[in-house]
Amino acid sequence: MRIQPRQHILDIWRAVLATSYQDGTWVWGGRDESNSISDAEQLLCILYPATTIENLALDRPDTIADDVRTALKPLGDSNRIPRVIIDVLGDYIDRYSDENGEPVFTGGCYLRREASGTQSPATAEQLELDIVDAYSMSVTLCLAALGFINVYKPVVQRRSELRRKVAEIESSTNRRLTAAMLGLLRSFVVNTAEPEDPSGRAMLHMMNTAGVSERIVIQELRNSLSRVRARLRDDVRIGVGSDVALDNDNLLFECGWAWGIADNAARIDFVSEDFQQRSGVAEARPYLYFTVVALDGINDLLSPRTRELGLLNEEQRRLAEALQIRWDLTQRYWSTVARFGGQAWPLENIPWQTSDGKESDYYSLLVSSVLVQDLVNRRATDDDLTRAVWVFEELARRGRITSRVTKNDPAVALHTPGVQMTLNGSEQLGPQIYWSAADFAPLLLKRTLQAAKLSANVTARDRLMVVAEATMDHLARRRLREGPGAGLWDDPVEVLFSAGGSADSRPSWYLTERVIEGLVTAASTYEETPLRTTHMVDNALELLSEADHLLNQEILQADANDRSELNTGLLEIEATLTRARKILNERPSSASALAMEALRKLDELTVARIDAARSI
Amino acid sequence: MLVFAASDKGGTGRSVTSCNIAYRLSLAGNDVAYLDFDFGSPTAGSIFEISKIDRGADHGLHSYIGGTISSPHQVDVRTASDRPGLRMLHAKAGRLALFAGDRDGAEFSSTAEKVRRCIELFRRLDQEFQVCVVDLSAGRSHALHMALNATAAPEIRSAPVRWLVFHRWTRQHIVAAHGLVHGNDGLLDEGVRAGHEREALQDSIRFVRTAVPALNSPLAADRPAQAKWLRTCNDELKQLALRNRLGHSATLGETPVEPVLQWREQVISDADVSGNIANAATVKAFDELARNLTDDSVWEGL
Repeated sequence: MRIQPRQHILDIWRAVLATSYQDGTWVWGGRDESNSISDAEQLLCILYPATTIENLALDRPDTIADDVRTALKPLGDSNRIPRVIIDVLGDYIDRYSDENGEPVFTGGCYLRREASGTQSPATAEQLELDIVDAYSMSVTLCLAALGFINVYKPVVQRRSELRRKVAEIESSTNRRLTAAMLGLLRSFVVNTAEPEDPSGRAMLHMMNTAGVSERIVIQELRNSLSRVRARLRDDVRIGVGSDVALDNDNLLFECGWAWGIADNAARIDFVSEDFQQRSGVAEARPYLYFTVVALDGINDLLSPRTRELGLLNEEQRRLAEALQIRWDLTQRYWSTVARFGGQAWPLENIPWQTSDGKESDYYSLLVSSVLVQDLVNRRATDDDLTRAVWVFEELARRGRITSRVTKNDPAVALHTPGVQMTLNGSEQLGPQIYWSAADFAPLLLKRTLQAAKLSANVTARDRLMVVAEATMDHLARRRLREGPGAGLWDDPVEVLFSAGGSADSRPSWYLTERVIEGLVTAASTYEETPLRTTHMVDNALELLSEADHLLNQEILQADANDRSELNTGLLEIEATLTRARKILNERPSSASALAMEALRKLDELTVARIDAARSI
Repeated sequence: MLVFAASDKGGTGRSVTSCNIAYRLSLAGNDVAYLDFDFGSPTAGSIFEISKIDRGADHGLHSYIGGTISSPHQVDVRTASDRPGLRMLHAKAGRLALFAGDRDGAEFSSTAEKVRRCIELFRRLDQEFQVCVVDLSAGRSHALHMALNATAAPEIRSAPVRWLVFHRWTRQHIVAAHGLVHGNDGLLDEGVRAGHEREALQDSIRFVRTAVPALNSPLAADRPAQAKWLRTCNDELKQLALRNRLGHSATLGETPVEPVLQWREQVISDADVSGNIANAATVKAFDELARNLTDDSVWEGL
């Protein structure tokens, strides 16, 4: 199906309001009990598109588009809409601040007790653990909120009461943003391993696609990662505990984000004293999932929009700088290992195996996410991207998006209940708890669209769009059809379970928010100018050249005093060709079409002349 | 509540829209007075289809403000209208009283004495009716001047006063409506001179867009390119409106193009809609205007 972000998003907004805005009050929660991550996701369903897609903006009552006003009618007229958003935002910030006003980043019921997905409760101490997902989601939410407030504040200049309220929410949003950035900074980790350790073996196994001797792989890996290693050792002291032996060149290493504050996390000394810096229990090992989640959040921090709007204060800018170094090194690390070796890439060797020996197609998707992001910074080349297209196609096939579900298909677990990750370290405070990531389909949608946006190769972009559209099809069929969450996600029964069954009719904000992210990416992809190749321009030029020449001949033969339809026709042809020349470089194929139309009309004249000349 | 209907240009549909708003307000159970202050050309009688005051009354508002009579002629639309549809009474409907101008009355200049008589009238009618709709002449008229001076008087201050500025959805009308309110010697300047507080007065003004073409209708354009052209023009008008401070936050509502009103200025009744003569969207727009007009939360503004 053709992805129509604006239409889809408005449909989703209507559905969100139908379930979340009842009798003038905002209702938190859905399928999962309300928690700091889920509620941020729920709010972002509205706020994220509204602050990233210009014609869906809600921050200036006067410029809210007509169809947007209609869709958001339940919130009130165009003056009320931004006011409700501000109220809901204020409510969110209040809910997730403790009695001292300290922001809270807990996972609540997103922490699964058993691998099977049943949600028997974790201990109170575990429920109070900060989760990197919450930091990242909060960074995105706070930036969206600050951008919104930035535009909205001057609008309410004259209403002192409202102005005070907005200023209050702005300052608590800023506080939450700083705290989230601080959390992200403190959960960055580096893990080293002896080549003989189980995790070292796993890493080598993944890298050694050519099957050469281990010594050579270690040597080459060391060479290609030497800059990353040197900068980690020299520039990055926070988060890299003194026990991490980066000086030892014989050790393998990986960097990224743990699932929460690591057990060896250091204090950050350049932020104000009023931010609590609690110690954590998370094992100091990068999780691919949380790494990609953190990279995404930091990406929003480093975006041109954040800079242009001047959303960060001095303290946040310092934190952002520190995060940028880590973002950069992590990008570089994963993008290097994804493409490591001479022949086949480790990334092409699906499924990816992480250093703790877990394998999943989902991990391959996460690694390709990093690769796509690297393309933005132009460190990966267009050829790399074209090569990665196959990976996306293969993942879509293996993930049962472009192929059918078989009996007892293990691939179904990718989507529901999702890929289970053990949160190592949490068992110190109670039973082992897990995290489950069930966003394979929306993540594939987002990444293929991102790749399509960046691709300069017509064929590659086309193939990526095919995958993206198939994924959207898959997701559209997983929408809830009835009940309170109708129009939202997720009802996997029809698509994934041939045996039937019934889905929870309440919406999953986790999945819905991720679909929204995909749609926002689609909108930004469409904003690019269409791809063009020299071949297309050449082709248009050839057509134009013939048409121009034929037109010159016709004008040469024309009676200088002719005012008949023939004269009008020739003028029209001339205008068409002028227009074609004008758009030749931006839209060569449109220019071709115009040239063809001119050629066809010119040929009509020729046929007429020949036909008439016959009788002479 | 006193509602003043103004417009910079003639032909904006100000009178016919305010008559319809008054009618819808009375249907909703309000006692409504309609005062025809369009002194140059009294037309309200004909819109409500009351033939005996078709071109004005014998002892109408002109005579009252001129000081020759002590109380202006008043007509109950429900009993006097020639149109059977308007005479039918809902049980819950309120009164609808028309105060017409004099037959062949003309525009006259505003004096302190005339303003005093206006104050007297507004004060009395505000006590008697829930909503008084006062239809003012187009442009920076004497009627507008009197209304601004009268409403600045302490006797009137306690009554909520709302100003509606009507304009059609075209380039010239948008610029003109802006000029009427924000321009030199416009409504705000004159109001401040009369003793109003500028911000409070500005908060009590809303624009009404009339006869706005429906671009989403299948009949909006004959060809795709034409539709695209219209839409782009519409977007530019929106930008223009915004630059002229006529955005959504300053607008009370809009009315669609209504074929019936293009051919005859009249009140559109529910029967016209159920008889498939008038468009349902038109009545809906009038209803919404009437509702927004009396909804305080809409007037909170920014």
